[in-house]
Amino acid sequence: MIFYVVNHEICVGSIEVLGVSSSSLLQVGDNDTISLFSMFDTPPESVVVGQLAPLELPEGFENAEGERRPDGGSGPVTIKLR
Amino acid sequence: MRMNGVTFYIPGANLPEPTFLSLDDTNIRTSEVQGIYVNTLSQAGMLQIGDRSESNAVLRALAVQRQEDHPYAGDVFFESYVIFDRPIPAFIDANDPDSFVVTHRWNACPVISVGCISITSAGAAAQIVIGTGQTHRSEARIKHIRQYKGRHSLPPAYP
Repeated sequence: MIFYVVNHEICVGSIEVLGVSSSSLLQVGDNDTISLFSMFDTPPESVVVGQLAPLELPEGFENAEGERRPDGGSGPVTIKLR
Repeated sequence: MRMNGVTFYIPGANLPEPTFLSLDDTNIRTSEVQGIYVNTLSQAGMLQIGDRSESNAVLRALAVQRQEDHPYAGDVFFESYVIFDRPIPAFIDANDPDSFVVTHRWNACPVISVGCISITSAGAAAQIVIGTGQTHRSEARIKHIRQYKGRHSLPPAYP
């Protein structure tokens, strides 16, 4: 296969990036080959063991489709770690 | 090392044989950036202004949060975790001649123009390049663990 590329004018106003991380690349220019790898591992021992802060239910949770207390109450849900 | 008829040598530096960018002036694009603002560059992050041929960026990180202080809890080893030895997935190139791709590029406009670039942070073998390159390979492996105080001072040999 023969692949013809014609690069016409490219003009970018401004670029705003919060973070470039974990073997990522931000390039203004041409490159023939790029190969990027990244492995991020969060194993079971990274779990937080301890008392979780009781979080209030979000606003409008009565109409939300997500979790709901089985007893119909409106207090904060306490999660217990075994 | 030899470049443009000039031979140079850096004493003490065990550098590999350099590969130079093939400068075909008729078919290369110039990058034009009005301004760049970078707040933080850390952990093998890089900002390059200019062309390059080959780059190979590697970072291996162990992010350990410990209950016990480092002098008492002992060292942490990359060899204890298989993520740092796991093979990188290989790129499978085409074998038959019909699948070869031959790329021809014609730069009708030889300038890439960008206004202002604003980057808050770059880290973990990240690269910011203004310019042309040939090959770029980059690899980062990060393992995030918490270690609690136990009977053994050595970290567990857990994958």
